[in-house]
Parts: sequence; C-alpha cells; structure tokens
Amino acid sequence: MKKKSVSVLLCISMIAVMLAGCGNSAAAPEAAPAEKTETAVEATADTAEATEETAASAESRTIKILSMWPEDDAATTANGSIITAMCEQYKAEVDPNFTWEFEYVDSDNLKTKVQTLAASDDLPDIFAYDAGTPLVDLIDADLVLDVTKALTDEGVYDKLDNGATTYLAALTGTEDIYDLPLGLNIEGFWYNKALFEQAGIKEAPATWDEMLADADKLLAAGIQPFATGAGDSWPATRLIHAYAIRSMGKDCMQAAADGTEAYNSAGFVEAAQTIQDMNQKGYFGVGATTVDQNTAADMVLAGEAAMIYNGSWYTSALNADTNPAGADGIGFFNIPTVAGGKGAATEYAMNCGTILCMNKSSYDDTMAAFLKYFVSNVGDYSMNNFGALKGYVIENYPADMSNYTKLVAEEMEKVTGSANWFEALMNGELSTIAQENVQSLMNGDMTAQEYCDAMQECYEATR
Amino acid sequence: MKKVLGNKKAIALYMVPGLLLYTCFLIVPVIWSFYYTVFDGSPGIKWQFCGLDNYIKLFTDKQFMQALIVNCKYIVIVMTGQILLGLAMALMFHFWLRHCKSLVRTIVFFPVVLPVVAVAQLFTKIYEVQPYYGLLNSVLANIGLEKHVQAWLGQKSTALGSLSAMDIWTSIGFYAIIFYGALLDVSQDVVEAARIDGARSFQLFRYILLPLIRPIMVVCLVFSFTGTVKMFDSALALTGGGPSGATKSLSLYMYSVAFTYSKVGYASIIAIVVFLICVVGSFFIKKLDRDVTC
Repeated sequence: MKKKSVSVLLCISMIAVMLAGCGNSAAAPEAAPAEKTETAVEATADTAEATEETAASAESRTIKILSMWPEDDAATTANGSIITAMCEQYKAEVDPNFTWEFEYVDSDNLKTKVQTLAASDDLPDIFAYDAGTPLVDLIDADLVLDVTKALTDEGVYDKLDNGATTYLAALTGTEDIYDLPLGLNIEGFWYNKALFEQAGIKEAPATWDEMLADADKLLAAGIQPFATGAGDSWPATRLIHAYAIRSMGKDCMQAAADGTEAYNSAGFVEAAQTIQDMNQKGYFGVGATTVDQNTAADMVLAGEAAMIYNGSWYTSALNADTNPAGADGIGFFNIPTVAGGKGAATEYAMNCGTILCMNKSSYDDTMAAFLKYFVSNVGDYSMNNFGALKGYVIENYPADMSNYTKLVAEEMEKVTGSANWFEALMNGELSTIAQENVQSLMNGDMTAQEYCDAMQECYEATR
Repeated sequence: MKKVLGNKKAIALYMVPGLLLYTCFLIVPVIWSFYYTVFDGSPGIKWQFCGLDNYIKLFTDKQFMQALIVNCKYIVIVMTGQILLGLAMALMFHFWLRHCKSLVRTIVFFPVVLPVVAVAQLFTKIYEVQPYYGLLNSVLANIGLEKHVQAWLGQKSTALGSLSAMDIWTSIGFYAIIFYGALLDVSQDVVEAARIDGARSFQLFRYILLPLIRPIMVVCLVFSFTGTVKMFDSALALTGGGPSGATKSLSLYMYSVAFTYSKVGYASIIAIVVFLICVVGSFFIKKLDRDVTC
C-alpha cells in the first residue's frame, strides 16, 4: 500500500513538472511589474522616481525588428548598423522610453521566417523582406502597412526619393508603396585600375566585344579577368541579365514575365551562351561556381581578379579603410552595349535592395512616431556615415564625399532608363530553377538551350 | 516493484503523460500533414482548397523524381560507407590497435561531436579551388595530378560524392564505437576456439564474428538508413542542394517547396513520402534480420 501511494505521488509530481514545463511564460511579465512596484515602495530615497519609471515602462511598447543584416555590418551593406543607429538616436532625441528588440536572421532564411510568422499572425513590427513577387503575396493577404498612406498622414512622404517610390510601386504593381527602400543601387562592372594598366588596357570598355577583348589581354598578362560569386548563383544570373538587357532591350524580363517573350527565345539563349562561353574560356578562373560573392568582391580589391559585376552597395567595402585597392583604385563602367542590340548605354540595371515592411495589424502611434523619425533622418545619416544612397531625400551632403560615393552619384545622374534584376518578376519556382541551373550552365553540364528550356517549362507549369 | 508494475492503474499513470506528449507532438502533426495535402499555398497567405491536385502533381514532378534519385544514391553510398568503414574501424580497434585504442577511438569519434555547419565550413575549405587551392586540390597539384584539380562542389559529377565523403567522415566514429562495443561482447573463448580449429582472419570474421554481432548490425543499418533518408543539414550547409539539384534531397526539396515556393500542402505530401520511405525501409531491414535468423 505504501509503495502504491509512493508510485501515485511520483506520477502526480511527474505530471505537474511536465505541465509546468509546457506552461505559458506569459505569466512572468505580469508578476514582474508587481515586484518592481513592491521594491519601489520599500525604497526610501527615490520612491517617486522608481514609481514613475515603472509607470513609463508600462506605457511604452517594445518595437520588434526582424533584420537580415547583423546589428553591426558597417563593412558590408551597413543596413543593420543604420537601423540600430536610428533606434538609438530616436531613443536619445525623441523618446527616452523607446525600446526595441533586434532579431537577426540570415538572408537564406528570411523568407521562411517571415512566412512562418505571417502564418501564425505574429509578424514583427518592422521586418526585412524581398521586394517584388514575394511582397505581393503579403499585400494580397493584407498583412503589410500601406506606407504611402502612413507617411502621407505623418507628412513625410516627400522624404522618400521619387525614383525609389516609382521603382517600388512598379515592382509590386500597385499605386501605393508597401515597403521602405534600404538602398538605391545601380549595377555594373567594377574594375581594378592597376590590373587594367598592367595588361595595357587604357580605358574601360564601351561594348561587350571590347570587354571580351580586354579579358583576353588580361588572360595573356596572367591576370584572371573576372571574379564572380557564382557559388551564390545570383551573381551569375545577373550576368545573363546584363547581356540580355543590352541585346534585347531593358524590358525583356517584363516581356518574359508577361508571356510575350519566351524564356527560351533566341535572345535569352544567346545571353546564356555568352556567359557559358566566358566561363569555358577561363575568364572567371577555375571553379567559379564555388566562390561566394563576398570572396569574389574581395578578390578584385586585392588584385586577384580584374573585374566584377556588382551593385553600388559595393561602395561600403570600397570606402572601408581595409580596401587594399585604396581610395581610387577601383573604377566603374556600365554594362557595355552589344553590337546590334536594343539596349542603350545610359540604361542601368537598378534595384532598391532588400526592403523594410511594417506589420499592418501592430501599427500604432508608437510605430507611427518612430517611422516618421526614421524616414526623416535615415537618408542623411547613411550618406554622412557610410556614403550610401538608401532611396531617401538627402538634405545635407557631407563636405568630404569619398571618390566612390561621388562616382555612384555621377552615374546616377546619367540614368535614362532602368531594368530590374533577372529574378525580380519570377515566382519562387522559376527563380529557383534559374539560379540552381546556372552553375551547370557555366560548367557546361547543361547547354544554353537546355537552361532556357527548363525556365520556359517551369514558367508554363507555374504561371 | 513487481506489485507496482502489476497494477494497471499505476502503469496507466506512468504511460499516459508520455503518450499524451507523443500524441500531441508526433501523431497529431502527422495527421495534420495529411489534412494540409489538399490545400494550396501557405497558411495565412493564399491558402485554398485544391482537392487531389497535389497528389497528381507528385507523379509528374521532375524535381521530385530528381530529388528521390539523389536521395536513393546518397542512401546507398553513405550507408555502405558508414557501415563498412565503421565495422573495419572497430575491427582495427579490437585486433590491431589494442595499445592505443583509447587515443584512436577519441580521434575517430571527434567528428561526431562537431556541429554540422562547422564540418561543412571545414570541407568547403578542403574542396576549395578559388581564390586559393584547398587541401585536396593542393595535394593533387603537388603530387603531379594538376589535371584533376577541379571545383569539387561546383559540378554535378562530383558534388554528391564530395558531400557523401564528408558525411561518412563525420559519422564513421559513431558506428565504429557501436561495432566495437558489440565486438567486446563476443566471448574471447569462442574466438580462441575458432583459431585452434584453424580459422583464418576472414573465416573468423565471416563465420564467427559477423553472426554474433548481427543484432547490432541491424540496429546500425536502421540508424544509418533513417539518418540518410532525412539527408538535409549537411547538404544545406555544404552545397545548398546545388549545383542544379545534384545534392538536393527530398527533405531539401520539401523545404524549398514549403518556404521558397510557399506551397505547404504540396510540401506536406513530400514529407509524408519521406516518412513512408523511413517506415518501409526500416521494416525491410528488420525483416531481413528475421529471415536470416530463421
């Protein structure tokens, strides 16, 4: 009997422990303020102060931020550093009770994380996300804030760069914008001036043929002509896109997305073939399909390769003190024109980078006040501290702009037309097919025709 | 104690909490997955009933077939490597390396405790070719095999083999230790008797040791099979499933379908297929054991 009672008691205690483990931790915060208040009452000297603090913290709400950039990423895109700095400045200048939670998730898992949170109705107040098709799904599900309306209500919509808002609205196919830009980038070829000189190349190429001729000269001089982060896939598809918008015109991807131009049409096959040929000739070095874009970018700075296709976010690395090429060692040229092609030399591949969205259901006065401050200050802050254009109006340019920032600003002034990037208008499946197969295309495991056929087949199956 | 365990109420009290948790966290999600299979989209975002469309799609989906083939190849290569090399290693500990077996066992077991991501980073460097040659390519270049220097992880022909080599290296210590434990259980008298009867090394292994460690062999086969069917983390960390899906397993494909393509319903079917492969495979391994025993 005694043993039986012991066993029953053991069972009950086991169940109690399990239930305690599964219990909701929400009870804890309720207890905390009570404890704080109790302490405040017991304290003798600063009782009033402590009570005030407790009351203030009860009123303010913690803003949750989901970022794909670490809090300190000054050496790369600087977006994480900028968001953190904006929060700190807002706390120091406007609302001392402002608190925020910064959560970092790497870019590969960002979409997964956001979708999981969206499904459980637990989206953070501010979160990074992919512009274009992925965002449209969130807009359709009524999960993200209408930024145009919110900023107009706050009277700060004009703080956004016109070009950026037009671009973002076009990407989502809406009149209003539902996201904030965190970059206004142009893309093109960056080159190491010293290596060009070493190979006897006097000026940057203007046509694709000239660029390939220069690549031959570099090879002859024992220099790897291009670096590309084809291990990440997207840098390789950007090259196909670069050739395609010059040969078929800047709207070729829109035409393909609309179905008026097939992904396996002669133009796209030619573009894919060109990239395959470039790799087969050794322009990208041995094993280009295993290199990530950061390594490739560093190779050009370190003089291990002469050219790289990259966006103007590269200026963060170029402006860094650690850049071995120095303050003027790297040059830029826009995507060269293709003989007989429809693309013009003043049309650029552009993008707004990964964007920031706001959770519609949790948008309140606290968020509105922070958003107003963010939009009003982020342009100047990022330009003055990182020399980066983020898609906002800049009121105070720094007196000592770096050469690279000036270079980008000058190129921006030349823009007469723009194209997106290769996968901007593709759905998830098509985008995956385009990126997964590009390594096989470069290696020759797949012909250009097969590569393009696979995309068209996927487009037709998932349209 | 016997009295307590003979009491059905006490047994129920012990069993019910565990059973409840098992039901909540395993059986309910599995049933839930079946429910999801008749929906298209992602819960909360474009979630709509689609009938049996997902099931029909499964049989015409080339990417699914490719992932299934990759998974099967991986199972064969890695299972063979883990079991054979694990067993060989255990025999070495037992017969040849008796004096320094503790040291060798620690060294061989070391990769098992390393995080997969760290191992993947290590092997990325070993297989590296640009900007600098990694260990493998450096060795090849230095022994006059420059023509074999290649992007091991960047081409379809070598990616799966490279990944398998990494996974075998990682888990070999685990199987070696299990087999070593089984070999220790084999009575020394039996081995001595076989030797006196004139059994050579291979005969000793084939007719004495192998039958005696068969139960452990079956356990290892089940471990290895279920582990390789679930192929996910190492492939994601080393190659991301590329190039061109050469290392994309069913689990990786399921992950892409659910979170990149936002088709949770279709991903649920793929998850069920993985689950069924695990169940059927384990059943056949056990059956094989029973057949042999009979």
